[in-house]
Amino acid sequence: MTKTTQETTPEQNTDETRLDRRSFIAGVSATGVALGSAATTAGAQQTAQTEHMAAAPPSEAQRVADVGTPDEYSADEHEKYFVDNPGSDYMIDVLRSLNIDYVATNPGSSFRGLHESLVNYGGNSKPELLTCTHEEQAVAMGHGYYKVAGKPLAVACHGTVGIQHASMAVYNAWCDRVPVVLIAGNHLDATQRRLGVEWAHSATDCVRPIRDYIKWDDTPVSLPHFGESMVRAYKLSMTPPAGPVAVVCDGHLQEEAAEHGPMAMPRMSPTQPPRGDANAVEEAARWLAEAESPVIVVDRMAHNQEGVDLLVELAETLQAPVVDRRGRMNFPNTHYLYQGRGELSRADVILGLELNDVFGVVNSVRDIAHKDTRRTVRPDARVITIGVNDLYMKSNYQNFQRYFDADLSIAGDAQATLASLTEAVRNAMPRNRRSTLADREERLRAQHARRRQEVLDTARYGWNASPVSTARIAMETWNAVKDKDWALVSQQFFTWQFDLWDMDRHYHHIGGSGGAGVGYGGPAAVGAALAHRDHGRIAVNFQNDGDLMYVPGILWTAAHHRIPLLSVMHNNRAYHQEVMHLQRMSARRRRGLDGAAARIGNVLDDPPIDFAALGKSLGIWTAGPIEDPKDLAPALREGVAMVEQGVPVLIDVVAQPR
Amino acid sequence: MRTIAGWVFGLGLLGVLTIGLQGRTLAQGAAEGRELFVTYGCWQCHGYEGQGSVAGPRIAPTLLPYAAFEVLVRRPANLMPAYAPSALPDDVLQEIFAFVQSIEEPPALEDIPALQ
Repeated sequence: MTKTTQETTPEQNTDETRLDRRSFIAGVSATGVALGSAATTAGAQQTAQTEHMAAAPPSEAQRVADVGTPDEYSADEHEKYFVDNPGSDYMIDVLRSLNIDYVATNPGSSFRGLHESLVNYGGNSKPELLTCTHEEQAVAMGHGYYKVAGKPLAVACHGTVGIQHASMAVYNAWCDRVPVVLIAGNHLDATQRRLGVEWAHSATDCVRPIRDYIKWDDTPVSLPHFGESMVRAYKLSMTPPAGPVAVVCDGHLQEEAAEHGPMAMPRMSPTQPPRGDANAVEEAARWLAEAESPVIVVDRMAHNQEGVDLLVELAETLQAPVVDRRGRMNFPNTHYLYQGRGELSRADVILGLELNDVFGVVNSVRDIAHKDTRRTVRPDARVITIGVNDLYMKSNYQNFQRYFDADLSIAGDAQATLASLTEAVRNAMPRNRRSTLADREERLRAQHARRRQEVLDTARYGWNASPVSTARIAMETWNAVKDKDWALVSQQFFTWQFDLWDMDRHYHHIGGSGGAGVGYGGPAAVGAALAHRDHGRIAVNFQNDGDLMYVPGILWTAAHHRIPLLSVMHNNRAYHQEVMHLQRMSARRRRGLDGAAARIGNVLDDPPIDFAALGKSLGIWTAGPIEDPKDLAPALREGVAMVEQGVPVLIDVVAQPR
Repeated sequence: MRTIAGWVFGLGLLGVLTIGLQGRTLAQGAAEGRELFVTYGCWQCHGYEGQGSVAGPRIAPTLLPYAAFEVLVRRPANLMPAYAPSALPDDVLQEIFAFVQSIEEPPALEDIPALQ
């Protein structure tokens, strides 16, 4: 990406600018003289003009009041050289009014005014600038940060190029219903653009590349307009269904002086999330209360601990198993009602809460040559959905999944609807249900204990293998952090931790990327770790190798901003999902299985990437590569000790593929 | 679940396989089988020790008879791709099976402190 340091245009690089030292020094002397002359001339002109207007010349006090500079510059010179009260100072005030703590950015000249205001006017504090090495990294940091902090950070993007770099991470945030506030630098007024690169970095509609997967955007043409649009953007981004938003921040608005006098600061008035219709909720409660085997399936539901607690209350009232799709931490895995997908096969009523893929809960589509679709639940099972998906309004990108004809669809934020649903279930519960509920509880308690034991037993297979098994990675890590205040901040391709780590707090995990766009993992983990830092928690990131190679600069950002994080590499030295896809294609076509076909284009082992060396070069503490599983526990103990000192850590583990 | 009948059946099958492996010892067959297990990509979903993963079930240690193993590979019921004999010959599959059978039980749960 071309940046400020490269923005001298060929036109500007003329003989006039190529001065040798001798002529430069002479030039400085001559310029000094010329400046003095100019000042004198300007003063004379001003005097003449003043006389023409037959008015008294301004006093020194008036002059200072007018131009604000008790120095030797005339008003004209002042206007020529200086800007007081720049517009971007007001923009910082707007960000502060929204309680935005961080602006993540890769620097760019289209928001140089804002950048300067943030540093000098704002003192680089609330908001503080986060130095990122790529806009994709900046947005993904915001993605992870929101899921812990419960509020967005801002990402400043450099015009056309910054938006395009950011686009992948914006898509992930969109799919995952996560607010991120993008501020896109741009230069609308063509006559005010610098020559050369500034044109390439400007657009008439610079948000267009991402408009299909943001909730809202605007291009303010005045500072009051900027204030209103920024507050509106924030408000919309936080209102379920949440999502990223963008406000174009015109370069001239930033750099030119704001109008005199106090400017209005629009007040942020949070929108109450939509709740499900009361009659529909009562109907849903009746179905659930009268069901023989109700099952709750949940995905991106809990916004915070209150959401977890409300779901526990509903599940216990119904004695209904909860199948967690893990889009958020929704339900404690230590609770006996935390159950596996198998419970769905016995359900007569299924309650889906904020499901992204209702069809996929009820059906399967096999990835074989003939893609057959099979209903995997009872034919007579009734399906209720509560969520905000039906309130979405975009069509191009197909992340909304296949259509499903639910028996009762309730539009509303599920967490906001849970309290009334639970109350309605209590009212609708038949009196003779007590023994049924007790029977259900007994069965599910036994099943929960049995399942946990089965997973534990399964974890021992391959325990001493090299490459290191994923079960061993997960459980050795668990042993290193389980007595601390910990939080998992990554998605991963193994699931041991969801069954064997004790997760009962909302912050114990943050779900996945949403759009499965590679490059989310590392930055989102660092963003989440940033939010955990204020609480003194140990953030744990199982880091995929392919993912880290998209944005390795995130390690530098973690080091630079002293963000403590324990990253344990799941280094299978491949884009392993694609290895399996190519294997599937080869098998389907009955060829190429006896060689390296599946490896071509998919593996990262020639040469093997030394992530420990990479991390070290970027300023973080590292260990590995670990190939002998016996070396893992000592490295983790040492790594956790470093994290407790506030240091980002990476332990490279050469791992089994899944 | 292990049963006496299963053990007997398994041992008998090993004998059959020993003959099938053209006079080589089981150890030789298993060593070559490991190589083929990797070459033919079985490890991709089932792990290098056949321990299984989110992408494929555990397949070792096993007392599954070869005939059943072959059906699972040739005509799988679920997500596993079907491996035709023209792409994965019978003798190769037999050697892979020998390797899978050679994989030993992991340590007992009580012997793994990290799993307590």
